[in-house]
Amino acid sequence: MSAAAQLELRGVTKRFGGVAAVDGVNFEIAKGDIVGIIGPNGAGKTTLLNCISGVYHLDGGDIRWEGASIAGMAPHRIASLGIGRTFQIVKPFGSMTARENVAIGALFGSAHMRRGMKGAFALADEVLELVGLKAKADQPVSALTIPDRKRLEVARAVATRPQLLLLDEVMAGLNNVEIDEALEMVRSVHASGVTVLLIEHVMRVIVGVCRRAIVLDSGRVLAEGEPEVVLRDERVIEAYLGERYAKRLKSS
Amino acid sequence: MANFVQLVILGLLAGGVYVAVGVGFGLVWGVLNIVNLAHGALVIIGGYITWQLVTALHLDPFLTLPVDAVALFVLGYALQRGVINRIIRAPLLFTFLLTFGLNLVLVNVLLLIFGSDFRSVTPAYAGKGLEFGSIVIPYVALISLAAAILLSAALAFILNRTRIGLAINAIAADRDAAQLVGIDLRHAYAVTYGLGAACAGVAGGLIALIQAITPTAGEPYTLQAFVVVILGGLGRVSATVVGGLAFGLVEAFGQSIPGSGSVFANAIAFGLMVLVLVTRPQGLMGRLR
Amino acid sequence: MIATAASNRRWKRIFLIAGAILAAYALLAPLTSLDAAQSANIPLLADKFWLRIATSIAMFVVMATAWNIIGGITGYAAFGNVAFFGIGAYTTGMLVAKAKWPFLLALPLAPVVAAAFAILVGLPLLRLRGHYFAVASLGVGVAVGELVQNIDYRGQPVFGGASGLFLPIFRIANRDLFFFYLMSAAAVLSIAVTWWVLRSRFGYGLIAIRENEEAASVLGVNTTAYKVASFGLAAALTGLAGGIFSQWNVFVNQDNVFPIEYNVQMILMALLGGTGTVFGPAAGAVLLYLLIQFLGGTLPISFDIPFVSTDARPIVAQIILGLLLIVVVIFVPRGVIDFFGGRTRLSLSYLRRSLRETSL
Repeated sequence: MSAAAQLELRGVTKRFGGVAAVDGVNFEIAKGDIVGIIGPNGAGKTTLLNCISGVYHLDGGDIRWEGASIAGMAPHRIASLGIGRTFQIVKPFGSMTARENVAIGALFGSAHMRRGMKGAFALADEVLELVGLKAKADQPVSALTIPDRKRLEVARAVATRPQLLLLDEVMAGLNNVEIDEALEMVRSVHASGVTVLLIEHVMRVIVGVCRRAIVLDSGRVLAEGEPEVVLRDERVIEAYLGERYAKRLKSS
Repeated sequence: MANFVQLVILGLLAGGVYVAVGVGFGLVWGVLNIVNLAHGALVIIGGYITWQLVTALHLDPFLTLPVDAVALFVLGYALQRGVINRIIRAPLLFTFLLTFGLNLVLVNVLLLIFGSDFRSVTPAYAGKGLEFGSIVIPYVALISLAAAILLSAALAFILNRTRIGLAINAIAADRDAAQLVGIDLRHAYAVTYGLGAACAGVAGGLIALIQAITPTAGEPYTLQAFVVVILGGLGRVSATVVGGLAFGLVEAFGQSIPGSGSVFANAIAFGLMVLVLVTRPQGLMGRLR
Repeated sequence: MIATAASNRRWKRIFLIAGAILAAYALLAPLTSLDAAQSANIPLLADKFWLRIATSIAMFVVMATAWNIIGGITGYAAFGNVAFFGIGAYTTGMLVAKAKWPFLLALPLAPVVAAAFAILVGLPLLRLRGHYFAVASLGVGVAVGELVQNIDYRGQPVFGGASGLFLPIFRIANRDLFFFYLMSAAAVLSIAVTWWVLRSRFGYGLIAIRENEEAASVLGVNTTAYKVASFGLAAALTGLAGGIFSQWNVFVNQDNVFPIEYNVQMILMALLGGTGTVFGPAAGAVLLYLLIQFLGGTLPISFDIPFVSTDARPIVAQIILGLLLIVVVIFVPRGVIDFFGGRTRLSLSYLRRSLRETSL
């Protein structure tokens, strides 16, 4: 394990009943990296994210952030250390406006540069501009479209001033144009110095923006490396599409 | 030793009443997601019906139980269909307040009709029981327990073997899917609440045999029903049966502690409930949701 | 259907002016009962009877506003907050009656003890959600009352038992006026606290917890600490009202400081007036308290319900109240302030829409 790793997972295991949703996962993320996590449904991707962000407690293994273990920490403490995340099914604060939603992230979040009320709302406006929601800042959440709500979810997480941002399938349900816009948003967030770890099913995104991809299957790391290489890996194809299709692909 | 056995027996017998009080409450909670604060009122209405029939027609009190069940089923069905269905999709706070309001109305209507005097029902065989040496099994308590078990069995039968029962199970599992397969939610909901009320009515009849009733006497039973369901585990009739019997035992042993007694009934119930919620939230027999 | 921005502001302004006038009258009129005013021949605008009612109203303003902090703003609908009222009352009561403390010294301890109890009980309780929390808190309310009345130590009731606590009468000129202003001060305090909470980081965190607790926690809100703090704050204010009540009423026992009806009344007042707003619960408290007294026939302005004898009067009043509760809950989930705040216009279509949203 190199000294430069910002996030380190060692043998992370999470069980539900008798089933290990995540089983002995090891990998490292370096600071400034932008890494994709892919894998078929049920592979344990969201569970992994929940483990990192503290929503789930580990059944085994350790997670280290900047060298120190964060296993067993409450979610708000992990957030204050600088790890932010979005949810696959967005969880906006329904009775607040978009600006207020993002301001919550700015008011709390990482201890680094925590703001007072005024500063928080100012930061919220900046972040809304970054994700393209500035025009709708004063609208209640109920008035926002699905792509807008996804943007809001990202904005709120970015407003916590994270050093690592975990994105859970932000592209799901978006059309091609919206995906391009979202890609731009992810790139600009990354460009501002944030390490990004994203779960995705849309391969175009992984290939387009990630430097590295980690493939998860049945709770274990199946393959790791550059996206184009990993996606051509036989085992990966087999995991996604099944043995017979993989064989057909090979013989064709 | 004999004392211990006597306590266990008394506890199980008392548990019969708690079983009856709990099964209806648990059904409404488990299927409709309603914590019915009017449950105690429904129970005491059953008690009054039994009292009225026994006093007017000189029936054996246990024979009035089916009447309690039917009368309260009708009342419960009407209440659900007419009133409770209107706020069933609202946040939980509103169902709480609504059932509280219902409780207020029902108890006070009873006060208007019957006044606040205490009434009791005493069959000829009260006080007598089977005797085994120094251990006594009172007849009334024994038949009560039997009635409660019968009630639970009947409820379980309805839920598992009849069409409407299966519909109710389907709704409990997934309300939207149940609608999609054509189940009439309004009717099924009303039947569910009606069944819950019917069980409450029977419980009331049993209670009239062991204590003097007055319109406000039903209040503690709502909280105790809650404890019984939590103790046993929400979800199945059999779990509530276990919860009721266990609660009966706890109460029997609790009352035998010198110095306390039934004055602390609510405190004991509450303490037990918090203990269970904090240590084993799924109850003795439930499954963790 | 939804009021436009202009009529929004108009309604709000009308409402605020009306409220200010009423509040000014309420606070100044009692001064006319002072001897000095009387000898100056100022007309008597408020007598002892009204002072008593006004003090009770102020008491409920405190309770409803306090409940709103944990129930309305944080979204944890506690059903047993009367426990804190009783704890506050008994704390001050015991200190004054048994330990012979001066009242004004004993009073600050009421909110402190109530809050301490809330924090103790809140830590396990606030881990529960929805129904479980509501009924568990109801159980607390009931159990505490029972315990306090019945706990014995070596055969003697610790807290005065069934016969209750008798406090020595507080010696001060214009006692009724004094307690009215004291309770009103507590009411103003609660409203001020709510106002502060709603614009502070703490308040935003509470609202976030209410809207989506899981999201709040991953955004950095320490949900456990915030919930417990909110609960403690509500308890402190409620306890303060109880402490003042104990000396004002001079007599404290289980029935008058742990009445279960108070739980529902304070919730209903907050709901009626509009949870999540600063003045909502206060408005609801005033309205509902007057309504309850009016129905019960204890106001000078009264009406005779046909066919009902005076004995049956309180019972019928309760029935009407229960029916009213049912009707309000079914038709008006968002509260009176919604209308006066200009969000929606009171119309048949609004009521019909409410109904459709919540029924099967």
